Amino acid sequence: MSKPENRVDKIVSDLLKGRRLKLRGADAEEKAAITAAARLAAARQGGPQRMNPAFRKQLEQALESAPKEPWMTRRAALVAGFGLAAGAVAGGLLGRATEPAHTAPVQGGDPINPKQGQWVDVAALSDLVEGQGKRVTAGGVGAYVFRSGETVTAVTSICSHLPCELLWNQADGALDCTCHPASFNADGTSTNHTYPLPSLNKVYARVTAAGRVEVLGTA
Amino acid sequence: MLRTCFAAIFSLRSMSLDRPPDQQAVGSEETENVLQLPATARAADIALDELELVYAFIYARVGNRADAEDLTQQVAMKAIPRLREGSPASAIRGYLFATARSVLGGFWSTRLGLSEAELHEDLAMAMPHAPPSEARADAVQAILAQLSDNYRRVLELRFLHGYSLKEVAADMNSTVGAVKVMQLRALRAAAKVQVEL
Repeated sequence: MSKPENRVDKIVSDLLKGRRLKLRGADAEEKAAITAAARLAAARQGGPQRMNPAFRKQLEQALESAPKEPWMTRRAALVAGFGLAAGAVAGGLLGRATEPAHTAPVQGGDPINPKQGQWVDVAALSDLVEGQGKRVTAGGVGAYVFRSGETVTAVTSICSHLPCELLWNQADGALDCTCHPASFNADGTSTNHTYPLPSLNKVYARVTAAGRVEVLGTA
Repeated sequence: MLRTCFAAIFSLRSMSLDRPPDQQAVGSEETENVLQLPATARAADIALDELELVYAFIYARVGNRADAEDLTQQVAMKAIPRLREGSPASAIRGYLFATARSVLGGFWSTRLGLSEAELHEDLAMAMPHAPPSEARADAVQAILAQLSDNYRRVLELRFLHGYSLKEVAADMNSTVGAVKVMQLRALRAAAKVQVEL
């Protein structure tokens, strides 16, 4: 086990290079020093930090595409929530605010059907373990395939929200997005029922007579 | 921004209400202007402005952009859909910061494998009532000022001047190993200083 001063210095060095906090359970011993280091690293930048414009834009888009709550649209929630309701109602603006401009249902899950797609051999059925996702590549199509008895299903390996690669989380039996806190079930549906993201695109998959798994991808 | 928004709405509204009835009828173009006030866009801007404060608040505690962005996004996604109708802006801010507190608590407890109760107990996770301000840099100076000379020096050189361990060691006529130990002890000492960042 590394000495605490080495471990804390590693964390400090990462922070000073602008990297994420990569911590382990054993770091709990030095939690006070680590949180102090994080605060000092933040202070190094001077005054309060502002969001990176690209991140702000991304957040704005995420808010815009947020699914509506059953009792109120997100847009209405924004308008009402920020105290504009009074002026908005009187000015006839609420009607506009609640227009179904972003009411696309949170479904997603359309199958990927590449032009000139072709079946690509990705694995043997025997390689797949029930209840476990396997990352495969079929030309330009990345997918996770799941075995259910003698059949297979597949979903894209790209998150439906931010276009980042998903990772199979064995412990939770879910596909976790590497870019933000979101995860999906093996059938591609969002695990978060309160704030469901669109389902992952499905990928066509089949099992051949020879027991090989094929995915509809590209050359 | 909120004030500006209200001012814009009410000034435009009073323009149309103060007009005599005959002119109001003609003033369809004016009415159109009132209706076209981009209230939803402004509301989204306000949400984003509040989230700027949340971001600064989180950044000040995790010290890096990637984690701060992830956590801010979590706050946005958790809080925005649940905002209640008619809540004043101050309540919205309170809600966002309460969410930020919970998200940060979750972040540290997951990363360190601790219960959130232990975190709250040990790390003084209390949140300020006011958003982060320019005073934060001063607060860091206040923390450093309470440390011994050597501890202050090592943290200043490392964090504020970005020196490598080797450079710190050269500056302080010491060895890299000794500076590393001093850095750890200085950070532990800094954590004990009670200054609200």
